Amino acid sequence: MTTRTNTPKRKPRPARAWLAALGAILAVAAFLALLPTPVAPGGESASGGTPWPSGTSRPGGTFAVTGARVFDGEGALGTVDVLVEEGRIAAVGAPGEALALPPGVPRVDGTGHTLLPGFIDAHVHAMGDGPEQALRFGVTTVLDMFADPEWAAEQRAKHGEPGAADVFSAGYLATVAGGHGTQFGMPVPTLDADTDPDTWIAERVAEGSDYVKIVVEDGHTLGRDMKTLDAGMVAGLARAARARGVLSVAHVGSRAEAEAALAAGVDGLVHLFLDQAPDDALVAAAVATGDAPGARPGPAFAVPTLAVLSSVAGVGTGADFAEDPRVADRLSRDQAAGLVRTYGTATEGDLAHARAAVRRLAAAGVPILAGSDAPNPGTAHGASLHHEMELLVEAGLTPAAALTAATAAPAAAFGLDDRGRIAPGRRADLVLVAGDPTADVTATRDLVAAWKAGVPAELAKPEEPEAEATPVVKPGLVSDFTSGPVASLGVGRWVPSTDQRMGGTSVVDVEAVDGALRIRGEIRPGFPYPWAGAFLLTNNAQMEPADLSAVAAIAFRARNAGSTGNAGSKGNTGSRGNTGVASDTGGGVLRVFAFAPELGMTPATHTVELTGDWQRFEVPLADFGVTSGQVSAFLLGSGTEPGPFELWVDDVELVAAGSAAAGAGQ
Amino acid sequence: MSTHDAAVAPSPATPRLPGRGRHLARLFATEARYELLKVLRMPAFAIPTLAFPCLFYAFFGLAFGGQSAGGVSMGTYLLATYGAFGVIGASLFGFGVGVATERGQGWMLLKRATPMPPAAYFAAKTVTALLFSAVLVASLFALGGFVGGVALPTATWAALFAVLVAGALPFCALGLALGYLCGPNSAPAIVNLLYLPASFASGLWIPVQALPGWLQGLAPWLPPYHFGQLALGALGVEPATPPAVSVAALALATVIGLAVARWAYRRDSGQTYG
Repeated sequence: MTTRTNTPKRKPRPARAWLAALGAILAVAAFLALLPTPVAPGGESASGGTPWPSGTSRPGGTFAVTGARVFDGEGALGTVDVLVEEGRIAAVGAPGEALALPPGVPRVDGTGHTLLPGFIDAHVHAMGDGPEQALRFGVTTVLDMFADPEWAAEQRAKHGEPGAADVFSAGYLATVAGGHGTQFGMPVPTLDADTDPDTWIAERVAEGSDYVKIVVEDGHTLGRDMKTLDAGMVAGLARAARARGVLSVAHVGSRAEAEAALAAGVDGLVHLFLDQAPDDALVAAAVATGDAPGARPGPAFAVPTLAVLSSVAGVGTGADFAEDPRVADRLSRDQAAGLVRTYGTATEGDLAHARAAVRRLAAAGVPILAGSDAPNPGTAHGASLHHEMELLVEAGLTPAAALTAATAAPAAAFGLDDRGRIAPGRRADLVLVAGDPTADVTATRDLVAAWKAGVPAELAKPEEPEAEATPVVKPGLVSDFTSGPVASLGVGRWVPSTDQRMGGTSVVDVEAVDGALRIRGEIRPGFPYPWAGAFLLTNNAQMEPADLSAVAAIAFRARNAGSTGNAGSKGNTGSRGNTGVASDTGGGVLRVFAFAPELGMTPATHTVELTGDWQRFEVPLADFGVTSGQVSAFLLGSGTEPGPFELWVDDVELVAAGSAAAGAGQ
Repeated sequence: MSTHDAAVAPSPATPRLPGRGRHLARLFATEARYELLKVLRMPAFAIPTLAFPCLFYAFFGLAFGGQSAGGVSMGTYLLATYGAFGVIGASLFGFGVGVATERGQGWMLLKRATPMPPAAYFAAKTVTALLFSAVLVASLFALGGFVGGVALPTATWAALFAVLVAGALPFCALGLALGYLCGPNSAPAIVNLLYLPASFASGLWIPVQALPGWLQGLAPWLPPYHFGQLALGALGVEPATPPAVSVAALALATVIGLAVARWAYRRDSGQTYG
């Protein structure tokens, strides 16, 4: 006789129990459905496919602009009425007849003014409050070309909201370890020969990148030798991006690189170049990109970024632009500072080449897009797009073409079909300017009003706290290290500083020993521009500069660890000589770093050779490219060679202009 | 032959089986109902179990609502981790302290003398822990959603709810082991001593990345950490540990819990607390 196994739990329960269970499930479901859900999610673009989320703007205002000339993004329509309903353009009238407006619609009198689409800046690095600054200048959309993907995702979630320009972003850029794009301190997933381009693109798409940016820059036009992606990898990336439905754009530094990037199949260039005149091959490559299988039809597009290129070439006009009264009043301190900033050293190159390239590419039908590359030296968010339009006109575009370059052209090139034109159904991103910018493009600076998704934008700059007076630093002794690593400047102390700030791994120990400063540590690989040393702020921890215009040079005595026997016997210049220990312990050189607003984010360095004996060095501020007298900080550190080092420094002083000792005295 | 006999001596007669099954089901249901009633009538268990996580969440989750962690607001992040914290509490206390106490009262001996299969006792406790977890999670959701400004797509609310409630099971198993290992008087102290530090070290109170480095290294060895990571995964937060690893870790914890409980149960058989 067989025994049956019991399977009681599988048997049907009484119907009442099932009903109770069903009721409980329904109650839970109803409860979950009642819980709050997010309002207007910013679009599910992360999955790829369509490169742009559909506009998810919140309903804005309903109003009509009457009596204004209208430039619809592609051409002048004459004086027509435009009706905006709930943040979208509802109707555009015909010249000579008033648009039938619904009763009670608020009217904006545009007589004597010109209505244009909200501007689109096709090349920015939109950190901080850049998007807010942009909107104050009528720039309603910015295309960011390198940002932390998490920050970009936050910005994307805010699309359509008032108060700041919409930000689209490339996220991380494609570059190699040590290449352009790795020097800003943000960790970047770099590529090497073994990287699968499709995997890399897929990761960017998964992070939400709206397009991808590929760096092709070997640094030769900047007088530097930089590693960069090889042509095969660029082509692989461009192909992979196309297969995944996202645009690829290229940062280039020279004519040859521009041509190579276009030949590799990128959809657009986000810089032009200064090194050579454009040639037929370049134009042909730009026109031919659409012929590749699967490519976006038509030629590639180009974002010349003349404002920043002129700054690179040392002929920037940002400072003059900043003084235009139509601009000056709305510039925040930040923006004004950015416009007058220059790259410390001018690069060889001729802006005429970039202008010629604009003309030739435009003549060949290559869409030209206005982009500022703000906030690089010589530019400011928002403001510089107006500057760029003027520079494009100077290069040879008509004012109308320059306006298109800042409105309909970038919208078309980047597939932003919900904006960039004044046409029914498009988002009501609008600017109203006094005068007629199709005659004088600088009229765009005379902003009367701007709307983003139908919501009026604040054009006045926000109240800024009174700037603290820049402290004036007089020449004299800064530190003799008799009572610790103290200094008579800034926050009053030398502090350790290494590339760990930027994700590197170098280490340093800074200590006053027997009346001198011992800087001991190790340069370790990890950050492409390694440093380790003693850091001295001249003003405050916000890196605001002090006024050192009365100072001509920084001077100090230094030696390496070679003569350990007389370490600390201050002032002892007895010549024990370099015993060779130095080469074992490192410290053969000392680098002096100067940080100054006019140098931008990267400090300038000056290297001196050390021996085991104390020597006096004097480095003129001019050698750092500092001409304004504004200095934020100094750093005394090791060379870049990996390995341990030990440096000794004493009697740091600031030397007055016109004082006897000049040059690197010994 | 009455249906009562069926439970004691299975009969080969096929036609009677449905009746027997229904009878067993009723036994399970009855046991579950009274277990639940018992717990509800012990406010000393029910109230702290429900109130503590809500109180903690109100203090930490809502107070730090403006900050963010793992790409979501702190209020959202902590909803997942305090949900896990509460569910673990309900399971560990319901089982660990409940079983230990009832062993001490001789209640288990008495139950063994009834026709109820022992499984019904454990099933009732499991169902109670799941229901308690559901009520607790719903309370936290209401607090976060209606007071804390947490807004999630309905599918995400549902996924988080499901993960949190299902997460009770491994901790029921661990609680059972504790219930058989601990004496009736020491159980509450021992359970608290394990539960509170483990929850903290697992990042259920404050995000795990905010913990000191050595604790972060310890966390992956603790089952609550894996529960927390799965709950965060349901929110769409990139988990620090792959979900498959967390599921495997919790499955392992379940197996270990059941094995220890079985061993301790055998050890106890016929001894002090039965």
